[in-house]
Amino acid sequence: MMTVAASHQSLLCRAQVRHTTISPVKTLQQQLGDVPMSLLALFVSPETDFEAVVAEAELLYPDTDVVACTTAGEIGHDGYDEGLLVAVGFPKADFASTSLAIGSLDTFDTKAEMDRIAQQRVVLEKRSPSMESGFAFLIIDGLSLREDTLTATISPALRDMPLFGASAGDGTNFRNTYVALNGRILLNGAVLNLIRSHHTTQVFSLDHLVPTSTKMVVTSADPERRIVRSINAEPAAREYARIVGKDPEQLDRFTFASHPVVVRLGDDHHVRAIQQVNDEGELVFFSAIDEGMVLTVAEPQNMAAHLRTQLAALAEKTPFSDIIGCDCILRRIEAEQTQMTREVSDVLSDYHVTGFSTYGEQIGPLHVNHTMTGVAFYRKEEAP
Amino acid sequence: MSIIDPNDPLDRQNEKLLQIAHSLMRRVEQKNDQSGLAYQQFERAALLETKVRQRTNELEQTLALLKESNAQLERANVETEAAQSNMTEAIETINEGFALFDADDKLALFNSRFCRDIADITGDLTEGMHFNDYVALVSRSKHLAIPDGETPEDWAAQRLSRHSTDHVVFNVRLRWNRWLQISEHRTARRGTVILQTDVTEMMRSERQQRDRMLNQQATILQATLDHLNQGVCIFDNNKRLVGWNKKMDEILEMPAKKDPQGLSFAAILHGLRKEVSFHGDFDEQKFENWTNQRARRKPVIFEILRNKVQILNVFAQEMPDCGFVISFSDVTAEREAAQALSDMNERLELGVIKRTEELGEALAEAERANASKSRFVAAASHDLLQPLSAAKLFISSISDQVDDADLRKVVVKAETALLGVQKIIEALLDISKLDAGKAVFDVQPVALSAILRPLRDELTPMALAKGLDLTIIDSSLYVVSDPSYLRRILQNLITNAIKYTPKGRVIAGARRKGTSVRIEVWDTGPGIAEQDSRTIFQEFERLDGPASDDSLGLGLAIVERAAKGLGHDLNLWSEIGRGSCFSVTAKTSSFTSSAFQGLPQLKAVRADSLNGMIVMVVENDVQIANAMSLLIENHGAEVILAHSAQDAKALLSEIDLVPDALLLDYQLETGVNGISLFEDIRATYGPISAAMITADRSNELQKRCAALSLTLVPKPINKAKLLSLLAGMKSIERPRVDAREQ
Repeated sequence: MMTVAASHQSLLCRAQVRHTTISPVKTLQQQLGDVPMSLLALFVSPETDFEAVVAEAELLYPDTDVVACTTAGEIGHDGYDEGLLVAVGFPKADFASTSLAIGSLDTFDTKAEMDRIAQQRVVLEKRSPSMESGFAFLIIDGLSLREDTLTATISPALRDMPLFGASAGDGTNFRNTYVALNGRILLNGAVLNLIRSHHTTQVFSLDHLVPTSTKMVVTSADPERRIVRSINAEPAAREYARIVGKDPEQLDRFTFASHPVVVRLGDDHHVRAIQQVNDEGELVFFSAIDEGMVLTVAEPQNMAAHLRTQLAALAEKTPFSDIIGCDCILRRIEAEQTQMTREVSDVLSDYHVTGFSTYGEQIGPLHVNHTMTGVAFYRKEEAP
Repeated sequence: MSIIDPNDPLDRQNEKLLQIAHSLMRRVEQKNDQSGLAYQQFERAALLETKVRQRTNELEQTLALLKESNAQLERANVETEAAQSNMTEAIETINEGFALFDADDKLALFNSRFCRDIADITGDLTEGMHFNDYVALVSRSKHLAIPDGETPEDWAAQRLSRHSTDHVVFNVRLRWNRWLQISEHRTARRGTVILQTDVTEMMRSERQQRDRMLNQQATILQATLDHLNQGVCIFDNNKRLVGWNKKMDEILEMPAKKDPQGLSFAAILHGLRKEVSFHGDFDEQKFENWTNQRARRKPVIFEILRNKVQILNVFAQEMPDCGFVISFSDVTAEREAAQALSDMNERLELGVIKRTEELGEALAEAERANASKSRFVAAASHDLLQPLSAAKLFISSISDQVDDADLRKVVVKAETALLGVQKIIEALLDISKLDAGKAVFDVQPVALSAILRPLRDELTPMALAKGLDLTIIDSSLYVVSDPSYLRRILQNLITNAIKYTPKGRVIAGARRKGTSVRIEVWDTGPGIAEQDSRTIFQEFERLDGPASDDSLGLGLAIVERAAKGLGHDLNLWSEIGRGSCFSVTAKTSSFTSSAFQGLPQLKAVRADSLNGMIVMVVENDVQIANAMSLLIENHGAEVILAHSAQDAKALLSEIDLVPDALLLDYQLETGVNGISLFEDIRATYGPISAAMITADRSNELQKRCAALSLTLVPKPINKAKLLSLLAGMKSIERPRVDAREQ
């Protein structure tokens, strides 16, 4: 393992325990110490009894905002990991925060939510006038199918506050993903954390895919359920397999990870990741799709090298003291498939990345896949 | 991979394309209903985000630039302020008045000392004031001392004209005799810096100094004048006496009571008229005229006689103010001394001339005596050679005809005796020529080997006969010399060495010494004592040695004279009982191509070698002619003999035969010589081989003969040489008939 120059007097409080630990939050609390915290985030392995964890946390941290979600794997001290509970605390001394629960995403009132978010933001800003930087950290139910709409809705309300977020995961099961705030599980919901700090923060999004010239057209779809029925007027899975040169019967998550498809908008491209093939031979996506959409096949670069370069770039001017990363499950699958898991883990560990594997990432007003998004913290020495 | 599966049949492909097109069109027209909202939101958000990001970036860049500019501005402001305060402090510390006018001539900056001495205007000085206003202000100041006759406006105009110059320094006078020095300089930005320095003290002390110096100079001048050993008087341009020195008093014995200051020149001259008379052609009138010129007088110098005993040298010169200065030097003593010296010189010169005449006569006498001796010897030798030559030829003829061995021995001895006599006479002749300076040297580059090698052949038998070892080392060097005289010198030296060396060896050789060559002759003889080393070179001087019949002691005398004539150094080294070394040093020659390479070699001639040849001999000396004829006929040739040119020509025309060779005496009957005869014969009969017989050895004759291809046969005649010459002529094929017809 190589050493990385880092300031390392951490701003955040970090802790992790195995899911098999009895009273895991208690153990986490012992590790975290009794630093007063404005916000505590828990990334919880789906193998854990989520309800119990949430309840324990509420018990142990009655006066602290505790946000929790299930994961598709965690990022701990040693990089990619599974079966962990990872805790990240924001000490009150350096951070001020507000966490907003957004319930039932199917029925929420766009206008009212926007107003609420804007109000809360203003309140927070007034509460912490000496804190100059800040960001919004969204955690959303990974099977809600509402990420695109939600981010597009809340982003304007945040004004210049940069947003990043993660869709909660359920390993590779795609059955139950949970999000909770202060002991309350929000089914089909989300938590928006507005965080401000004395220190400098930098929201980022890393994408290691390069679009090729191979394209396909979605000829019929069920946008509501993010299902693409046919591509190029052929059953979607079969045509996708033909385009990427695979056997239609052998399509699995590894195929999707190594042959991602993107939509190109202007100079940018955004991954529309495929979740699975359903029984009807249709493709289920992680993000919004539509009929008439043109999908471009992309090729991944060397993920480990790309990651190291990008993290080094983030630390180029000043080394960051902490970094939170929300990493797409597809990247973990790709690393696994290309036998790069250890290498990527080393990079994550070298840079002390903490976070979890997601079912999707949010950056600004966008919901995307196959990326790593997050925030880096830079200590300001003269900060009070 | 193509959007179309190539495995599909065409109509299927077509169908699929239609569907794709349909989907795309719906998408573009956004006809999808509510179901596609999520994606549309995503798409709009993505496009918006891109725009926002671009804007944000632009804004950030602009902000960064703005920040940078602000920082620069801030820095610049700080620097400007610092510079300004530095400037203000700096100009305050200057001990002088300082002001800066900008490029528009507006007053930009001035310190508290500026114009302090012009107190009534200091209150009116303001920044931004124009230079012209400033000058006008100063010009009206009460403190300014404007020269009489000038108005403040004049002063201001003058001041402004100075301002037009880039650099100017001048003084301004103020009231109460105070002075300001103004120095004005244009800056690089076309502004003007003015410095005002109070120079009152300096000006005052300068003036005092000047006055002091003037006084001092006058004193020094008078002292210097008094110190001079000449009388000096100075007149101004009105011819009034303004200065004189003590010596002048003495010389002119001016009446002490009367102060001569201011006296006119004419009055002084008049006062002196009785006692002074002018020497030479410069008289009183001319002198007065000179003084009357108002300017451009040229300096004059003349002498006057005073009271008939004192001689004064007078020098008058114009002064820069058109006055003049006259100096008087008493030269009485010098003149007298010079006269005495001149008299003495005259006497001595007379003595020298007389003595020179006497010596000249004595020298002429001596030369005459020497010349008559030389002439006598030459004449005697020449006269002796003629009969001797005849005698030798006769003896030669006899020896060829005598068969009796005893008689033959006698003949040979007689021949040898005659040869000895001939050598003595030739030697005497040479000495007389050399002494008389009549010998003409034919100096040219000479190859030493051309001299040394024949000498070795010639002299080796003589050395062998005495049992000596003679070594003559050949040399490739060249010298500048007369080949025949050089040969004589070396021959004599080597012969002498052989003669005086009873046993041992004689070595001769040349060695190079820089640009010279020294030819040395070493022997193991008895050596020569130092006191004898001069006398051996005199005629008829012989040191004790084995007396020899043919040794007359003339050899070294010739060597000495010839070497001297050629400019060759002759040296002698000797040690009694060990031997001697004679050496001759000549210059080397770098010019070798046409060098003298040797004398023609004689070939042995057989008795019948001239068979069938017809030789004409023209010789006015009957004895020699007969002897020669006899000799030639003995060798098989026919001789046509004539005793004069006239006879010769008559004879030739009579017999109508052209001879094969001509032997012509140079000296024929009066007024005719061999050369003119040869030219006549050749004109008539065409080219004929001919030889000229003569006792005349002048270079001039040699050259004339060479020009006509005439071989020169010197008298006394060498038998072998003559025969060899004739044999050579015989061998030339000559188209006789053709020649006659021409």
